[in-house]
Amino acid sequence: MGDVFSNLGLGFGVVFQLVQWTPAFLGGVSIPIPVNILLCLIGALVGTLVGVLPGIGTIATVAMLLPITFGLPPVGALIMLAGIYYGAQYGGSTTSILVNIPGEAGSVVTALDGFQMAKKGRAGPALAIAAIGSFFAGCVATVLIAVLGAPLTKLALAFGPAEYFSLMVLGLIFAVVLAKGSVLKAIAMIVFGLLLSMVGSDIETGASRMAFNIPELADGLGFATVAMGLFGFAEIIRNLDAGGEQDRQLVQQKVTGLMPTKKDLWDSTPAILRGTVLGSILGILPGGGAVIASFAAYTLEKKVSKHPERFGHGVIEGVAAPESANNAAAQTSFIPLLTLGIPPNAVMALMVGAMTIHGIVPGPQVMQKQPELVWGMIASMWVGNLMLLIINLPLVGIWVRLLRVPYRLMFPSIVVFCAIGIYSVNNAPTDVVLAGVFGLVGYWLIKHDFEPAPLLLGMVLGPLMEENLRRALLISRGDWSVFLTRPLSAVLMAIAAGLLVLAVLPSLRKKRDQVFVESEN
Amino acid sequence: MSDTPSHGPVKSIMPKWVRGPQDFVGGVALIAIALFALWASSDLQGMRGFSFGAGTAPRMFAYLLLGLGVAVMVVGLVTEGVHLAKYHWRGPLFVSLAILSFALMIRPMGLIVTAFSSFLIAALGTPETKWTETIIVAVCLTAFCSLLFPYALGLPLQMLPKFMIR
Repeated sequence: MGDVFSNLGLGFGVVFQLVQWTPAFLGGVSIPIPVNILLCLIGALVGTLVGVLPGIGTIATVAMLLPITFGLPPVGALIMLAGIYYGAQYGGSTTSILVNIPGEAGSVVTALDGFQMAKKGRAGPALAIAAIGSFFAGCVATVLIAVLGAPLTKLALAFGPAEYFSLMVLGLIFAVVLAKGSVLKAIAMIVFGLLLSMVGSDIETGASRMAFNIPELADGLGFATVAMGLFGFAEIIRNLDAGGEQDRQLVQQKVTGLMPTKKDLWDSTPAILRGTVLGSILGILPGGGAVIASFAAYTLEKKVSKHPERFGHGVIEGVAAPESANNAAAQTSFIPLLTLGIPPNAVMALMVGAMTIHGIVPGPQVMQKQPELVWGMIASMWVGNLMLLIINLPLVGIWVRLLRVPYRLMFPSIVVFCAIGIYSVNNAPTDVVLAGVFGLVGYWLIKHDFEPAPLLLGMVLGPLMEENLRRALLISRGDWSVFLTRPLSAVLMAIAAGLLVLAVLPSLRKKRDQVFVESEN
Repeated sequence: MSDTPSHGPVKSIMPKWVRGPQDFVGGVALIAIALFALWASSDLQGMRGFSFGAGTAPRMFAYLLLGLGVAVMVVGLVTEGVHLAKYHWRGPLFVSLAILSFALMIRPMGLIVTAFSSFLIAALGTPETKWTETIIVAVCLTAFCSLLFPYALGLPLQMLPKFMIR
């Protein structure tokens, strides 16, 4: 336990670090500035700002804002990115409560009861409870990361290539089971992603693979590029299809009285607790993450409630539970990334991309060699959550005004911003074209009911999987049974196989579909 | 996804024996992608003894995708499914054009001209565009971008067209 505290202490030390700023105009007087806290604040603010815009989800927000962190030192960049992530998440719940347009998939269920509350003039308490629930969940998740971080890192160091490969297979299977819609199509998307990740040069021989002599493809498809295409551009094109304005029923009343009543607090406390626990667990699972956590928490809340019939008509528990759950999950999903180096979902995959740009390879080694980086980020998560609570409630009025900007003006701005963002990653015009192409691919995928998220996950895990598969087979001298004869690996594979069987069993399928149907009625 | 295509009586270009056109076409496209990848990676070295060559993993995933594509296609053939969604041309066309023009112009023309013109091209993507307000917003956005990216964020972006710098 002492370890946990000293680690967290180190982390907070990094976050509250003061940098002496000596501007010329003050004549040599230096002012101490808490740089990392400021970065966290800016990240959370900008993240919320973009996250509030309808049609831009968490993934697109993070992808779009990646370039603004390039000029920073690694610790600062990661802290800011974490801030952007929570900001985006929180911005999403604001739009779903106020406009009934979930900014991101994680807050789809929040819209069910949140928007009903807003219609009754109780938008304020709904937003406040969402923020409080998120904050509480964030606190718990931060402690959880600190507690689980060290032991899991030790476990990770015992992993060989075979175990890593099996773990990733398990993660991908989880992603399939927890994804919406057809299992078959989700698997197809993962494999498509794996295939896309093969473009570029071979890690061992350096041979150029499927790059068609295009120099920009020599290093492979940029992850941020693909993400921006699939989640940014594709989403814009799809929104244009829908004809923009018609479905935006903004709550016209002024948002007054932010404070929840005593009864609200009393009603939502158990919901927040249950949501936090459920979210934390689902977040750690590879392939899980915020989306499934919020759906599951809402369903659970409805099950345990004495008045399930009131759900969907504006009960506060229906806001509190999914919001706590998705924030808890958003945070605990850092655990597999930081300890094992495996991104459990698409946002974490983007984080990997950001870390790689700063020369950090996430995994157990980082935990040991650069503790200030990891613990600084963990501590900043807590600070980030606190910031959201403090800055967002007073700023709700501004977010509402932002939502009134018509889409016809919003979308060209987003297109230009995204284009500049992608271009600035490598200063390569080809990247912009590629993102455009993936925008059209994403549009096609949406039209054919293929989920783009598993594709992205496959794309990130592809190189890691190939590397570990090759190593494992090299060590075993070409014997494929190595994945089943090493005990840890065998257990992981068995769980993966079991899950896959469960997923296609009719009874469980029905239950799974039910969870998702909640959002559509 | 919220706009799953409707079951309505859309006139289908698909023959009657295709019962789920959406999945059928999706599967066919996956097969095409897989075949293309197999062709593209055909020049790469395969297994050498028990060690992987450069082409082993790409081909492995391509065959896997091929199989899954066939499976999705068969599902589309035998089970009753949704019709093909209606495609719109205006949004996709002009958003793509805006992106393309950005890519072509950013090097020779610099950020200011490029951001402005891309904004206007993208705005063509919807019939709701009102030109006066669009131009005003485009000017503001261009000004904002040319302050934000190079100065506030310190990204090395060229502002003015090349011929004006020389």
